[in-house]
Amino acid sequence: MKIEQYRILEKSLINEFIDKLTSISKVSAPVYKGFNNYAFHEIKSADEVSLKYIPTIIPPKKYFLPIKETLLDFKKGNEFKVEPTVEYDNIVLFGVHTCDISGIKCLNMVLSDKPKDTGYLVRKKHITIIGLECNDYCDEYASCAFVGAHIPTTGYDLMFTELTDCFIIHIHSSKGMDIIEKTGIFKPADSNNIEELKALRNNKLRIFNNEIPTERRYLPDLFDRSFNASVWKELEQKCLSCGNCTAVCPTCYCFDIKEDVDLSLQSGERYRLWFSCQLDPFAKVAGGIDFRRERSARQRHRFYRKFRYHIDRYGMVFCTGCGRCSRTCMAKINLKEVLTSLIRESEAKIWRKWL
Amino acid sequence: MSKPKVAFFDFACCEGCQLQVANIGESLLDILDIIQVVEFREVMSEKWDGEFDVSFVEGSITDEHAVERIKKIRERSKILVALGSCATIGGVNGMKNCFPLEEVGKYVYGESYKFFPTLQTKAVHQVVPVDYFINGCPVYQPEFITVLKCILQGIPYYVPEYPVCVECKLNENVCMYDRGLTCMGPVTKAGCNSWCINNGNICYGCRGLTINPNTEGFKEVLKKYNIPEDFLMKKIEMYNKCRELDKQ
Repeated sequence: MKIEQYRILEKSLINEFIDKLTSISKVSAPVYKGFNNYAFHEIKSADEVSLKYIPTIIPPKKYFLPIKETLLDFKKGNEFKVEPTVEYDNIVLFGVHTCDISGIKCLNMVLSDKPKDTGYLVRKKHITIIGLECNDYCDEYASCAFVGAHIPTTGYDLMFTELTDCFIIHIHSSKGMDIIEKTGIFKPADSNNIEELKALRNNKLRIFNNEIPTERRYLPDLFDRSFNASVWKELEQKCLSCGNCTAVCPTCYCFDIKEDVDLSLQSGERYRLWFSCQLDPFAKVAGGIDFRRERSARQRHRFYRKFRYHIDRYGMVFCTGCGRCSRTCMAKINLKEVLTSLIRESEAKIWRKWL
Repeated sequence: MSKPKVAFFDFACCEGCQLQVANIGESLLDILDIIQVVEFREVMSEKWDGEFDVSFVEGSITDEHAVERIKKIRERSKILVALGSCATIGGVNGMKNCFPLEEVGKYVYGESYKFFPTLQTKAVHQVVPVDYFINGCPVYQPEFITVLKCILQGIPYYVPEYPVCVECKLNENVCMYDRGLTCMGPVTKAGCNSWCINNGNICYGCRGLTINPNTEGFKEVLKKYNIPEDFLMKKIEMYNKCRELDKQ
């Protein structure tokens, strides 16, 4: 921890900071929507922001990978014209939790892999992330310690951590430094602050305990032996295929491509929309054949996409432990419970392999 | 190229879907640039006795006269579109099928019911072939425009097979179940951009059940929220009673 990378903000000045931020940039932050629901919305003043919040309905992924995104415009006429487009906006995201930052790191990995997603990569450069560390669990659905997303590591421009009397801010990029300079209300950190931060992180190791009765490194083994597990069949009965789990997931990036013309039928656009492996039409191909017709197969696919396939390809677990899928599921399919029953069912097979 | 000749017809319905079309606002001018409306009782008195390129039919088929009339409209139309819940899935008129026809007749017409012969309610496609479906009670204007554009381009329109929750979640609405209300979103076909929930109402299921609904699973969900199954079945029947005629 290099002391020069840290700044201090008096707790009483946090609203002033947010207000200053809104005067220099477009800012989006968690806003309370009622009934224990929060959403990232553009804010005009600090009063709208909820600093204490559970993960928002949809993760801040929506700024990086818009729900609907125009890919190209076309125009018929004497000559058929096609113009690719990239939609982007300069925006500061304030108060992003470490789970959502780790979700964006997952997206970075996939979308900068070949073929590169130009729209995403351009947009990313225009977004500034100000993180807000969680000193305790948001609720019982979170499993961030299992995937190691409960401690800030990388992927942000500034990271706010609440200490007893003040916020300590870690500056992690030049974009972050710009904000520090432009707002001008931060003080340098001293060694006491750094010590307090270290103590807080140590204490977090006691508060956050691995929520799943296995370790991350055993996941490939577990999943390699669980393809025919009875757990999936149970999900067949429960799952309504509403697609809520994938809509709220910070690491899902599947989309559908559609076209729309205007009423003159002369010009239009091609756009992409978030899409989900849980929905009936997703795996339907020509001839009306659906290669993932059973709800159990679709749920299994979701879990393998989070805990198996990406380990081979990117060496990363694609779950951030944010708990959104469990929180939002109508049928109360709980990620922690599914993993736990999977472990119970397949444990014997794993042990046998080691003997 | 001459503009396609378009007509609107109504059967057993409230004519509210046609009202949605008449009330579409500014885009109506652009629409009228590309189609020629030749018959539309709700907005004009002219009639047309030739062929129709596109006929929009609102309402369900509930007696012999209607059967004859829809068959004639079908013969005269190159493309037939079912407009709204009554036409696409039978809609609320389908509730009639919960009772014996005689009982229904007596309830409405008293002892003179014999002079008003009636049939079980049917959706339009249960009587004549239908080319395009625009669900909803009433239809959602942007979807009407999308379907119209598909027709004019000669491409099919696929009604989404997934539930309203998909669109609702992307609109970041607070789930009605979190508010303690029973919403039909999880088992109702999408395509309306969760219109009702965006405006603070629950989903009534007006667009009909999804293609592959997990009704058993939904009953389990309702149990968890202490909602009686009977209550759900009634909610489903409100719009979906005619569905059983599809299965025959």
